[in-house]
Amino acid sequence: MMNHEVALTPLSLRPADEVMRMERLGSLHACRLSFVRTLVRQMGRQRWQISRVRFDLNAEGHGTAVYRLQTPHGRYHGVMFAQPLEDERRSDRVIAEAWDVTFGMVEGEVDDGLLAQMAANVPLQEAGRQHPRVLVLSRANKSLRNFAHFVDALAAGEQPDPAWLTRVGYLYRTTAVYGNGKFGIADFARLIDNPDFRRPFSAQMAGVYLLRHFSIEQVEHLAACRSPETARPLATELRRYLGIGNSTGLGMAPFLINHPQLIAQWITQRETALALALRRMPEEGDRERMIALTRRAMQHLAETVTEDREQSERNAASVAALPDVLTWLASVPLEPDLWSQLVEWGARTLPLEAQELINTLLIELYPETVDALEDQMGVDENLDLEPDMPLMRLRQLIETHYGWALSHDYQSAEGAYWFWYRSAEKEEPRLGVRHAEPGAEKEMSIAIGPRVAHSHRAICDFLEEAPRAKVVDFLLERPRHKEIVRRVQSLVKAPYGDIHANLWHRDMKPMHLLRAKLAFFGASRFDPKSDRWVRITLFQGAPLVEELNAEPQDLADFDDWSFPLEPRREGGAVRPQSLSGEVST
Amino acid sequence: MKVSFNELQGLCRKAFGGIGFEEGDAADAADMVAWMQCHGFNGVDQLNRGLDFLLAEDPEALPRVIYQDGDLAVLDGQGQSVLRSISLATELGYAKARARGLSVVKIRRCHNRQLIMGYLARLAGRGINISAFWRNAQEPLTEQVVGFRAGHATPEMRVYSVREVPEENEPNDGITLVMANHVELLPSLGADHDLDLLAHHSESELLACRQRALQDGIEVDDAIWSRLKTLAHRLLVEASEASRSGAGSGVNDND
Repeated sequence: MMNHEVALTPLSLRPADEVMRMERLGSLHACRLSFVRTLVRQMGRQRWQISRVRFDLNAEGHGTAVYRLQTPHGRYHGVMFAQPLEDERRSDRVIAEAWDVTFGMVEGEVDDGLLAQMAANVPLQEAGRQHPRVLVLSRANKSLRNFAHFVDALAAGEQPDPAWLTRVGYLYRTTAVYGNGKFGIADFARLIDNPDFRRPFSAQMAGVYLLRHFSIEQVEHLAACRSPETARPLATELRRYLGIGNSTGLGMAPFLINHPQLIAQWITQRETALALALRRMPEEGDRERMIALTRRAMQHLAETVTEDREQSERNAASVAALPDVLTWLASVPLEPDLWSQLVEWGARTLPLEAQELINTLLIELYPETVDALEDQMGVDENLDLEPDMPLMRLRQLIETHYGWALSHDYQSAEGAYWFWYRSAEKEEPRLGVRHAEPGAEKEMSIAIGPRVAHSHRAICDFLEEAPRAKVVDFLLERPRHKEIVRRVQSLVKAPYGDIHANLWHRDMKPMHLLRAKLAFFGASRFDPKSDRWVRITLFQGAPLVEELNAEPQDLADFDDWSFPLEPRREGGAVRPQSLSGEVST
Repeated sequence: MKVSFNELQGLCRKAFGGIGFEEGDAADAADMVAWMQCHGFNGVDQLNRGLDFLLAEDPEALPRVIYQDGDLAVLDGQGQSVLRSISLATELGYAKARARGLSVVKIRRCHNRQLIMGYLARLAGRGINISAFWRNAQEPLTEQVVGFRAGHATPEMRVYSVREVPEENEPNDGITLVMANHVELLPSLGADHDLDLLAHHSESELLACRQRALQDGIEVDDAIWSRLKTLAHRLLVEASEASRSGAGSGVNDND
């Protein structure tokens, strides 16, 4: 029960200087406010229905499939185009020109005219001109090994080995999922009054969910075509354990910097959820649930496979630390501030990823307290100037809130090592070494730290001459500082907006930025391929289309799919793994 | 071709960057063009007509304050397009109105003046009443008046023809801005003025225009789009083998 006296006291959120450090952002896990979780809850609660309206695939699995998504408010269609692709053309990078599957999610009906328009343009992706009723445009490449193994096994009347999905948790991985007006598709502004998809990225996640279903139906179709006598459908536990991959590079980093108010909003909701959970007085049942969730997450991380040495070490460090958490949870008296004690103890003893895992699990404990925050994930983005602010006040604000930006040395070789730019090849974001590679004069100005430091110096100089100046007086003389000035003025009101790091520094790890955004999407199985390229899995463990269509009664159970565990194959059957590692019956 | 609002805004931002605008100015200018286009004012055509001019402008010739006191300001736009840095002249009016209740700002010598509406929409959204007017020098002499209610990002606009051209030597290349905290400043005309109403765009009509643009996409001339892309391309770095590794991906994605 919530103590009303406590409930009335203001929430104490963690300071931005703690939360917005790169390493901590790079330690975030998906939580119940992540977009895939929110979407699945909404689908279950509102009884969304998904049906197949076209499935014209040949024996090689190539052709067109259309799925209908019916919500209480509207109707949408996922339109999939599967085509042959030579292995040498299969690239996850934005510079690719063909993919195994391309698809779009459309608002409303798909008649022959629209289908023909999409067939001519969706497979071209960026090079096509997309229809304004397309809400989401995406493409995906096969995991060839998984695909072959799954078709072989199902055609032979067997179930694939679940361990294959633990290594690579999908049959398809998307390489971009476009929304918000890209290449002619619908603007996000059009969805602002749409109760189905007004939350950020919810339409994109719904498109990915439809692709997951298609991947199951396609692989079963291939097995049936190859061996109609013996082929079997994929076991339910394996279907559930099958997610959709995503392969992502530096493109996510500019998004984080260019949408600071949105990022601040996401992080504020997560921090608010954590603060609300921390002040709940736990009952014995909460403690037991926390222990169960910790066990499951520990097993999930123990099973997670990555070739990346650093991520492997981080996973192993979390797995090694979590038994101490279990011991702590089992042995500490059930005091009202138990969760605060846990977090304080964790801050002293646990690695960062384990600390953030505990935070994620605490948020998981209290759906009734935190779930309403999912409706606060959107924001009007406007970096507005306050021209009448005294310039001295602005200087003070910078010194108070941007101390991190003023503390770096941007002149040294180490401190100014990288520059960010866009390549002429499909505008792919890349990193170059300053003074060694060409293009620094076309640098993308996403490193905010050096710009704030530069503006701060100019403001101090101006104040020497005009101590009573207003911001607008300064900017009329030095207009190039306008963008930073209004960013600072706006973000002191949204302090989780700026990342507290020097993005030029030689030791800067872009992976942290990628992971932060992907965690909000709901990604699991972080599998870095370098310090700036990562593969992840979405919807692994999520309820299936047939479970959704059955109109689930137990919504808490429907929602309980975080940190999925590898199912166990026993003879011809596949069963869920119990937390002790035994097979449950 | 049909484009989305976000696409138009994004490409314009990059194109202005390619022209050499500072980042904040590029963002503001792109917002102005996209705002105008989706409210039916042909912002892209206006930009296209002004592009050669923009490319030839001296980026250092910034708007200069000729006179100001607590309530008034007169600025010299240095003959430049409003797309470059004029936002700060309007911000000056905003600051004065906030401090004193009402302000008047005259900006002399500037081009592409109608595009300023795109930035005024943003100021009005911040809670200030605005009226702006300007006269076009061509025959017949016309006057455009636009008014925003505080908190409304969509204005009401009227275009008049001026029957009696005043005998004066002042060139018609300026903008007058009036901003007020508490008083609505909408276009309104008494009966005995020497003005004929040529066009009237109500707030609801302009809002409906925006809704249609979001629903159906925005029609843009292919040639202009291509020109904007060429300008945006100036910010891109030519690819090389070394640069390809800068994306950090592997060389083979078959797994």
